[in-house]
Amino acid sequence: MPIDIYWRIGTHGDQQSLRRRVTSRGEWAPVVPGSLTPGVRDGRRDGYSYVDHMADVARASEISGFVGGLLPSFPFTDDPWATAAALARETTTYRFMIAYQPGFLHPVQAARMSASLQRATGGRVVYNIISGGGGPAQLWWGDKVDHDDRYARTSEFLDVLKGVWNGGPFDYQGRFYQVEGAGLPEPLARQPFPEIYFSGSSKAAIEAAGRHADYYLSWLEPFPELAAKFAQVREHSTAIGRSPKFAVRIDVLARETEEAAWDEIRRGWEHVDPTALRGPDGDSVGWLRSQSFVSWPVREPRELEVSPNVWGGFHLLRGGPAFGLVGSYQQVAQRLDELIGIGVDAFILAGVPHLEEAYRVGEEVLPLLRGHDIRHNSPLSTSKGSI
Amino acid sequence: MGGHPDFLITVPTRGDGRDPGRGDRGDWRPGARRPPPSLVTDPRPGAFGPFDHLAQIGRAAEIAALGGALVPFDPAGEESLVVAAGLLRQSRHLRVVAGFHPGVATPVYAAKFSASLQRFTGDRLGWQLDVDLEPAVARSQGDHLRGADRHARADEFLTVARGVWHEEGYTYEGRFYQVLAGGFQPPNSGLPFPRVHLTGTSPEALALSARHADVHLFTPDQDVQAGIEALAALAEGEGRRVGYGLRIPVLARDDDDEAWDEARRLWVLTGGEEAGLPDPDPRTRLWPGFARIGGDGSGWSGLVGSYETVAAGIRGYLGQGVTTFILEARPAIEETYRLGERLLPLFAKEIEHAH
Repeated sequence: MPIDIYWRIGTHGDQQSLRRRVTSRGEWAPVVPGSLTPGVRDGRRDGYSYVDHMADVARASEISGFVGGLLPSFPFTDDPWATAAALARETTTYRFMIAYQPGFLHPVQAARMSASLQRATGGRVVYNIISGGGGPAQLWWGDKVDHDDRYARTSEFLDVLKGVWNGGPFDYQGRFYQVEGAGLPEPLARQPFPEIYFSGSSKAAIEAAGRHADYYLSWLEPFPELAAKFAQVREHSTAIGRSPKFAVRIDVLARETEEAAWDEIRRGWEHVDPTALRGPDGDSVGWLRSQSFVSWPVREPRELEVSPNVWGGFHLLRGGPAFGLVGSYQQVAQRLDELIGIGVDAFILAGVPHLEEAYRVGEEVLPLLRGHDIRHNSPLSTSKGSI
Repeated sequence: MGGHPDFLITVPTRGDGRDPGRGDRGDWRPGARRPPPSLVTDPRPGAFGPFDHLAQIGRAAEIAALGGALVPFDPAGEESLVVAAGLLRQSRHLRVVAGFHPGVATPVYAAKFSASLQRFTGDRLGWQLDVDLEPAVARSQGDHLRGADRHARADEFLTVARGVWHEEGYTYEGRFYQVLAGGFQPPNSGLPFPRVHLTGTSPEALALSARHADVHLFTPDQDVQAGIEALAALAEGEGRRVGYGLRIPVLARDDDDEAWDEARRLWVLTGGEEAGLPDPDPRTRLWPGFARIGGDGSGWSGLVGSYETVAAGIRGYLGQGVTTFILEARPAIEETYRLGERLLPLFAKEIEHAH
């Protein structure tokens, strides 16, 4: 089976590098000379908006070998459905992985939007279903359903979405959703159903993933912990006769040499105040896990390297998850190969800045992957390094 | 009195075709499109899809200098927000009004989606909130509210959507929605809220419009004059001003005879008896035949005649205070060009003042 490698399209602006935590792409910081999309021309905004930059990132990663891009969703970001709908006709083969929380859209509406998007893109929609990090953010969205119930709602949501997908009439009486005589209209019915990437590290998430996921998606964690998490999902899934594949979301900082990569990290680290770290927010089990792999306080960036090239400090240099890979092109490719070796079927890679790094990773790292050669060796034992 | 008219087209979201019912544009009826014979090179298969057709309609409206386009909520058509996003992205000036009903999403989510579109497109998105769905249609969309509750929910929906849009730290506790410490942050804050279009002539509908509508849309089959008077009084009570609009089918040609010849041709083509061709209402000049020839259109009565005749009909509404005209004409691309080149220039003076 080929490995699907996605890129990530940042939906809340971007930095010019990891060296300075300054957003200069998109309007998340004041629009000044040097800002892009919108930029400043003759003293005024130039009429471009951040979606124009996202279109560039989509095209850059499409051209450099990625199958598609993840569009993340948070209170402060742009909306992935709106972005995918706006960009639908501006790429050719690129898949739009739409991150969303099932509670916010009605499943019939989600089905209608998805089917029209499938028609707009020729079947290039992929779902990243999140059931919510919880805490203040859920109430910001106006969602009062509590953590474990959100997974029950996700299950009903997908029942209804799949129920109407091939036409109707479809009836459903659930706790969260009731429909009567529902179904997509004929020309919209029976589009290819989007692949489902399912995220969540809690017990409730892993159980729901067993039922619904085509791919169980995790942030990068130290490889043994990741392998154990996959084993847990596999166990739940096997028990109900399903076998999801596995995907990992990984930030990558790859350079010609290992030294050059760490130099880049060090330059960013100069601006980090490691004592001013944000505590865990909400009821996200994934975030709590990621913080348990390192022991704070940390003085030097490589103290966050939990195993060769696996670095847990990305969140200090840009918004987002903590873990990613730092190293030479060759090392990063080897670590990705090792992940393929422990059962990873798909990657969502990202690097800052997303446009330039899409070219770099596509041109320098992806061609080095050997994947299949090591796939059939026993997991973990082939890994070089101390995992 | 005469206001400054703003013209929009209605985007057909169930395909389109040269003639009613043909449906060979926009991949709506599989197999309806006639390919050229095999002796002709045809490199198209696989290269185009339904949204290429919708994009053409948007470009036609943009190029023909229409002010905007309405993508109606149609449970049997393409999803309107997806269509609207594409049309907005592929135009510079066009204002696009997306129709949807309050059950499709939470108000926070609808607002969030819309904030992105406003930012992407220079604030050109509008909403038409459809509150009065047919009960069976509503149930098929998973919406089981009945009667006046629907207007109460729409009121909360618009209140919450505006609340999170304009106010950081927004909190709301209502019958239908709750938000705690919500509200958008830059760059999603500080944008113009989508222009809100509402419909209906029931007391609840007019009361809702008085509180929330930027534009209240009538149809030709309603008593527009009475509706405007009632709504103006209610809006004044709320300390607001509401604009008035009309969704109206039109069939305009060089002269009246040609327009009526075309009306007759379409009437017969869609199965009508030639002898049964209805006459326009002698008082209003509205022709009820659009219910037959309009394909999957609204089915409301509309205006038939020369450009001048149709313009006169529109001026009648202008005189009553209607300023937004959402025209409906098929096939959308050809008729949009026609309206842009021939009907809109008759209002050139007024349009100039409007912008």
